[in-house]
Amino acid sequence: MNVGVAHSEVNPNTRVMNSRGIWLAYLLLTTALHVVLLSIPFLSVPVVWTLTNVIHNLAMYLFLHTVKGTPFETPDQGKARLLTHWEQMDYGVQFTASRKFLTISPIDTCEHKTCYFYTKYDTAHFVVNTGSLLSVLLPKLPQFHGVRLFGINKY
Amino acid sequence: AKDSKIAHLGYQEEKGEDSFEEAPMYVAVLTYMNYGIVILFGYFRDFLRAVGLEKCHQAQEREEQRNFVPLYQDFENFYKRNLYTRVRDNWNRPICSFPGPFFDIMERVSDDYNWTFRLTGRTIENVINMGSYNYLGFAENNVDFLKTVAEETRQYGVGVCSTRQELGNLSIHEKLERLVAEFLGVESAMAFGMGFATNSMNIPALVGKGCLILSDELNHTSLILGARLSGATIRVFKHNNMQSLEKMLKESICSGQPRTHRAWKKILIMVEGIHSMEGSLVRLPEILALKKKYKAYLYLDEAHSIGAVGPTGRGVTEHFGVDPNEVDVLMGTFTKSFGAAGGYIAGKKELVDYLRSHSHSAVYATAMSPPVVEQIIRAIKCIMGVDGTTEGQRRVRQLAENTRYLRSRLKKMGFIIYGNQDSPVVPLLLYLPGKVGAFSRAMLKRKIGIVVVGFPATPITEARARFCVSAAHTREMLDKSLDELGDDIKVKFSRHRSSYRPELYDETDFELDS
Repeated sequence: MNVGVAHSEVNPNTRVMNSRGIWLAYLLLTTALHVVLLSIPFLSVPVVWTLTNVIHNLAMYLFLHTVKGTPFETPDQGKARLLTHWEQMDYGVQFTASRKFLTISPIDTCEHKTCYFYTKYDTAHFVVNTGSLLSVLLPKLPQFHGVRLFGINKY
Repeated sequence: AKDSKIAHLGYQEEKGEDSFEEAPMYVAVLTYMNYGIVILFGYFRDFLRAVGLEKCHQAQEREEQRNFVPLYQDFENFYKRNLYTRVRDNWNRPICSFPGPFFDIMERVSDDYNWTFRLTGRTIENVINMGSYNYLGFAENNVDFLKTVAEETRQYGVGVCSTRQELGNLSIHEKLERLVAEFLGVESAMAFGMGFATNSMNIPALVGKGCLILSDELNHTSLILGARLSGATIRVFKHNNMQSLEKMLKESICSGQPRTHRAWKKILIMVEGIHSMEGSLVRLPEILALKKKYKAYLYLDEAHSIGAVGPTGRGVTEHFGVDPNEVDVLMGTFTKSFGAAGGYIAGKKELVDYLRSHSHSAVYATAMSPPVVEQIIRAIKCIMGVDGTTEGQRRVRQLAENTRYLRSRLKKMGFIIYGNQDSPVVPLLLYLPGKVGAFSRAMLKRKIGIVVVGFPATPITEARARFCVSAAHTREMLDKSLDELGDDIKVKFSRHRSSYRPELYDETDFELDS
């Protein structure tokens, strides 16, 4: 047991996404990324939107669905070592508020009057954006909890 | 008169509510940005270490064992090597005097950014101690006290070399237990050698499989360990939240044991008098009302509150005006207010007699050492006033004054403080991990020693510094530490602003022409 810990939470990682202000911090970070990309002079607006979408989804995939375990030792005897952060959220309970928010947020960036609209429904952009969106939506489905395709990222 | 006070609607205002003020939203967002930057730099540095551009100070697998299944996971150590090591010099500082109101810290420096330390040989003297649990100031080098301790050591020796059940039951132990029972106002008590072990070894003796434990969210590790060792079903209720507790009680009683739905053998509610990280007081009258309504037992851990709250230092039961015989199991430690080591469990005579033969501590653990026992006896006699002086009462009153003073001054200065106005544990919220390190170092430079805690020991947005008020602190010491908490490290996040009340004159100055 981690002596000197101020709570009885076995894995503090599960509560991070429910903490106060993290949704706002996440939205601000995405907006900041978009603004930085918009300031690069030689990129056109459709390219910037696609880039924002792709980089955001890539980062989300990396931090939520690739990195496994906790960055600190937990007293749960290794139960969370093989789980990604998404699977650890709220101890695996599906359809909580944070999970719904993080599922809807990339869809919102991608579709809802934003990305597709600004890229003027161009085919190439559409393919790239949808591919990237699917790569970040599929791991969030409850059916994919703990699933590792082709043994990638299993251990 | 006591019962009417409990029924009175406004009593909560008399006793003071626990305050857990929220910081403004920008502070929470900045905290996450702070963690984000540190994590990114952590990944970058790990990459440099992996490539070989930076020397790796951590323990590594041997060359011959590179292809074996790894013993440890790299990532589990990420926080420790990238965040904790940067600020590691704020913890485990070696001290070289007794931890009274002032103490001496051995100066240590690091040449490689906190991976290794070396002592320079100098000491930082007379650092104000705001971190020790020295509530009544018994951590002192007092010749009068130590005279009786020395005599008892000459008579009984230093080591007991046996458990209580075998040959280790000395007459001084019985004296201590009678005194503890008299001090608390209960029938009987039993003392153990270690405070942590008191909880973790006695809860399994009291409850077992088929029982239900309802424990507070922020209970101490020892209580959690004891609950897990017992094999009972554990349900956690929100901190100090009586509605959550009642809801849980109702649901558990209605549905019964997990699979069989039989009635529970026992229901035990575990709470702490003062929680050491929050400084919040337990809502004892409400819990007692719930306990009586649903026929549950109450286990009250008074580790930080015995000797520290209450008009004569008898703990939360006296603070709320409650009869201590109503609480089923009173537990406490001698480490904090009595300047010794160990713990006790007190209650009805049948309960304590049962523990004498069934507790793991009693049967297997060595008995308390006689000098420590004598120190506790001396401290309790001093608080009770039995030794003929009013020193004990003075200390209890001084602690209450110091607590109120420090808390009100800190609030007025604009810091966010958690907890009840009467609790001597004062957590000052720092929020950002960078400020945690900076605050502790700045305080040490100004000769004040404090304890800071961060994630994952606290929730991610609530890193804090913890002040422990002591009766040995004088007004000047408190003023000095308050004055040093300036505006350099901007942590004054409180948004409680009282309306403008101008001070027309200086109330402490009585000169005619000012």
